[in-house]
Amino acid sequence: MVNVTLSPLYRADGSATFTSNGYSVIAAVNGPIEVQRRDELPEEAAIDVAIRPAAGVGGVRERHLESIIQNTLRHVILVSAHPRTLIQITLQIVASQDDSLYPGNLPQAASNVPVLPALLQASILALLSASIPLSMTLTATLISVKENGGVAPSPSAQDLEAATSIHVLAFSSHGDLLVVESEGYFTMDTWEKVYAKARLICHGEKEEDSESEDLSMDTEEVTKLEDILKDAVRQKVAAEYRWKQSPDSAAT
Amino acid sequence: MASKTLVLPGETISPDILPTPTNPNLLLKLGPGLRHVPPSTITSTIAGPLCIDQKKNAIWVENNSGRYIPQPNDLIIATVHHSSTDFYSCSITPHTTFPQLPQLAFEGATKKTRPQLNSGSLIYARVLTASKHTDPEIVCYNPSTGKSEGMGELKGGMVFDISLGLARRVLMAKQREDGGIAVLEEIAENVAFEVAVGRNGKVWVKSGGVKETLLVGRALQEADVQGLGVEEQVKLVRKMIRQV
Repeated sequence: MVNVTLSPLYRADGSATFTSNGYSVIAAVNGPIEVQRRDELPEEAAIDVAIRPAAGVGGVRERHLESIIQNTLRHVILVSAHPRTLIQITLQIVASQDDSLYPGNLPQAASNVPVLPALLQASILALLSASIPLSMTLTATLISVKENGGVAPSPSAQDLEAATSIHVLAFSSHGDLLVVESEGYFTMDTWEKVYAKARLICHGEKEEDSESEDLSMDTEEVTKLEDILKDAVRQKVAAEYRWKQSPDSAAT
Repeated sequence: MASKTLVLPGETISPDILPTPTNPNLLLKLGPGLRHVPPSTITSTIAGPLCIDQKKNAIWVENNSGRYIPQPNDLIIATVHHSSTDFYSCSITPHTTFPQLPQLAFEGATKKTRPQLNSGSLIYARVLTASKHTDPEIVCYNPSTGKSEGMGELKGGMVFDISLGLARRVLMAKQREDGGIAVLEEIAENVAFEVAVGRNGKVWVKSGGVKETLLVGRALQEADVQGLGVEEQVKLVRKMIRQV
């Protein structure tokens, strides 16, 4: 179940929590703020992403994820709107599926990518909450491929262990593929299936040329992620404009 | 006046809903949250309700959150950070570059008689220039008249944080009708106080005693957080005044 809150943190310029599929992330955005001279870019805003794991301090895994997110958001945020500034994004992982599988520290060999969709979603929601100008929104999802070749959306920790390959895909609000991170062995046909499924989850409509029957069975029960995003914003706006909607002020 | 549709960043605003002016010479004004992609596409850049003003031929996206970005002619409450020979460096939002306040930008200030501001003093000022490529410049007088018009150092009192949306509403010409703010008028019937509102989400309040000052600030913050309508604000203020 996907759970979203916008602006839970009082002191940050923008913040959001995103909980889905056993992963929970709090994101905080500060910006545009003053940038250190060595990081300053004359024509655009610098973007700084910091990931804090649920336990312990960040390491190679977190740096790797940071670089993926930073490179994605650089194209999503309208960086030219705030030149010579810094937009700081802090992502705190609150809960992850790995907790149940590996109590304590994660083994080095554990997979990097399963937490990535939650991180991407939380950061885009926090950016929305901070009113940073964006060129588009994005949605991301995790998909695992079972040994029999079936694609499983929102896999559990056990599914991930058993999967032959796992994929993270992110789509822009225009339906374009923004991020793809894949791990494991898979064929091009499998990837096409994964792509169609992920696009359905994130963006809703299918592309015309995809006609796999096993994909269409559970179309109805899937709420597309874009709608969840829009609902979260709608709720926030409704709360902010409560003073306008309240019955007494409408009468005056 | 304004129709409300929710937009998310990257949505194209359909040409059908753009305001149609009665005067064809009036140019379309794009407010915050929108950008023009040549030749003739308009897309949103932030999330919020899309507002359209037919009379002014203007369209914009409202937002209540985020960091304050200085805009020319905004009234702001700033803190003096340090002073150099010609300028005071002030702070309007934390962790941003300091806007500069010329030491002679006060009413009747000359090289001999100019206000001495220590670091930490509060000023009520107006943004003179603000562009994304330069540091903003702020002044404490109206350059066209040379008068202070209420700007200058704020002595005593206390500053409260409010949301940017509330600050904008309090600064509206018709606070009660347009902004839906009744707190200040309602308190003013019982308690005397001075107030200065900065677009950067700050309210400075000064009155006879600490209790009264806190009353004004807390009432505003309460109305802000709970999103109270006019009637609810009146009720809140009456309850708070009874407690004082």
